[in-house]
Amino acid sequence: MEYKFIHLNKTHVVKIKKSDGGYQVSIDGKDYDIAGFMNKDNIISFELHKNLNNIYYAQDKDTIYLAVGGDYYTLVLERGNVFKGAGAQAQKGDSVKSSMPGLLVKVMVMVGDEVKEGTTLAIVEAMKMQNELRAPRDGIVKKINYKEGDQVEALKPIVELE
Amino acid sequence: MFKKILIANRGEIAIRIARACHEMGIATIGVYSTVDANSCHLWHMDEAVCIGDPAPQASYLNIQTIIEQARRTGAQAIHPGYGFLAENARFVKACEDAGIMFIGPSSRAMALVGDKVASRNTVKHVDVPIIPGMETSSTDLVTFKNMAAQVGYPVIVKASMGGGGKGMRVVRSEQELEASVNAGQREAQSAFGDATVYLEKYIEKPRHIEFQVIRDTHGNVVHLYERECSIQRRHQKIIEETPSPVLDNALRTKMGEAAKRVIEAADYTNAGTVEFLVDQNKKFYFLEVNARVQVEHPITEMVTGIDLVRQQILVAAGGKLGFQQKDISQRGHAIESRIYAEDPDNNFMPSPGKILFLLEPSGPGIRVDSGIYQGWNVPPHYDPILSKLITWAETRKISLARMSCTLENYIILGIKTNIGFLKRIMDTEKFITGEYHTHFIDDNEEALIPQHENIAQVLIAASLIKTLRRTGVSAQIASKAAQVHKITTPWQELGSWEICKHD
Repeated sequence: MEYKFIHLNKTHVVKIKKSDGGYQVSIDGKDYDIAGFMNKDNIISFELHKNLNNIYYAQDKDTIYLAVGGDYYTLVLERGNVFKGAGAQAQKGDSVKSSMPGLLVKVMVMVGDEVKEGTTLAIVEAMKMQNELRAPRDGIVKKINYKEGDQVEALKPIVELE
Repeated sequence: MFKKILIANRGEIAIRIARACHEMGIATIGVYSTVDANSCHLWHMDEAVCIGDPAPQASYLNIQTIIEQARRTGAQAIHPGYGFLAENARFVKACEDAGIMFIGPSSRAMALVGDKVASRNTVKHVDVPIIPGMETSSTDLVTFKNMAAQVGYPVIVKASMGGGGKGMRVVRSEQELEASVNAGQREAQSAFGDATVYLEKYIEKPRHIEFQVIRDTHGNVVHLYERECSIQRRHQKIIEETPSPVLDNALRTKMGEAAKRVIEAADYTNAGTVEFLVDQNKKFYFLEVNARVQVEHPITEMVTGIDLVRQQILVAAGGKLGFQQKDISQRGHAIESRIYAEDPDNNFMPSPGKILFLLEPSGPGIRVDSGIYQGWNVPPHYDPILSKLITWAETRKISLARMSCTLENYIILGIKTNIGFLKRIMDTEKFITGEYHTHFIDDNEEALIPQHENIAQVLIAASLIKTLRRTGVSAQIASKAAQVHKITTPWQELGSWEICKHD
């Protein structure tokens, strides 16, 4: 089995296969032998190099949140065929996203507006912090996916340009 | 004593206050905005009242609605917690006018300590050192030059309306002064709509040390020792400890007595905190008074054994303090870490959202003041504070080690938190040795950003999780494999057994 996990914009290729009493895992080409393991709802324990690793996790669709020894990770499973194509088609700068979830407090443009690179298109606010969303390039506003007052998710297109 | 108290706050502090009320046999009225209808502070209330829309102005800052609800529900007192209306003199006045006891100082004392210039003058008269500088703001460059020469460089130009570091300029020589004053004025104008700036001596690498004071309405006043709050990020405290590693007993007594004089001079009653800066030569300067129960109050409770919220309620009800200065001592060491919903991998951006998994730690010397639960959607409208982790131990060394280990066992998944960042601070040498100051986080930035050294283990875990789901291997089969490799529980190895069977 092969998986691609994205961690902080970096894609890691992980191959996993059953071995004698455990699994063999290869990460970006490096091999690891996994001996016994236990998997409960939110904790997975496995033995690697005779060390027991206890890792807490929770899943939300293709996102896995993990914690080990005070170190936190968010991995996103990259789906080979379904989403890759769509992602490849979208050009850089076609949409404007918020890097944090929050409230869309202001939308400064309307569909059809011509905007210059750097123009503030919208403001997202969360927990007393305001974040201005600026146009990544010159363009025309094609679509606005939310209205003022809406709660927005991180990394979902808010304003789309054409 | 009061029979009913309205708690005009949310989150962990509302729960903290409700606990003290219930222990005293007082009923609690909780308030909530529409987005907080599922918030867990309401589980600790005897009555809950919706006070409006999510925006703070519409709910938790809505003075009129809160007073009306207190009247309607028959609350005799209001506890404001911290933040929101806690230091709003207009709110205190509104409570006084409505005949509802505000648990905190009088509106007059509140207004006095809230005014920077007025409180500086008050403090000067009771022989408490203040940072030397201009008494009033000025637009005349000559005034700035003369004052800078008098106090000696470096100096700092500050906005009168200031806050959050905006309009502040450190000036190291007279040549830089004019440009800095001009730049400070421009920045102050754009940030606060007021270009007024003033100048004072710049304290290099200061430590932020505050004293907890409580004064009853009969004139009895005690201090409950210090809290060191020098670990700050963007002027926001994130870790506090007591005792401070830098104070000796002589300085501690001197500062504690100074703090009491400040509170008495302002005719301040109830719990309050006097903040000081301590310079590298261990000279201390008055900064300001915080007229509320503070986020970091639990560490004082841990070392003194005194319940501060209980004392606040007793004092507000007209009671006398049940102890004197000589009765209060610091026992052991306590430290607090503030758990915030923010993303250390993304410049500490706020991280509201759903908590998918939560495991809160417990054990000897561990206290968690929490306002969250698994499955809760942390709303984006309010402060990012989720909870506070406090550890206590007989020495500073053990208390820090306990905090470091406990942070590792505080698991919040689904939203991003600063838990890992806090743990890395605990493990930083300069923090362990106690040689730190308010620039600690900036100075140690590189050591504090996440390194993600466990990425291989985490990817292994993720691939195992996904494989097990796909192949339908259940936990039992997986643990059978584990048994072979001796990750077993005693129950698996025991075989069949009976209680008290003697062969």
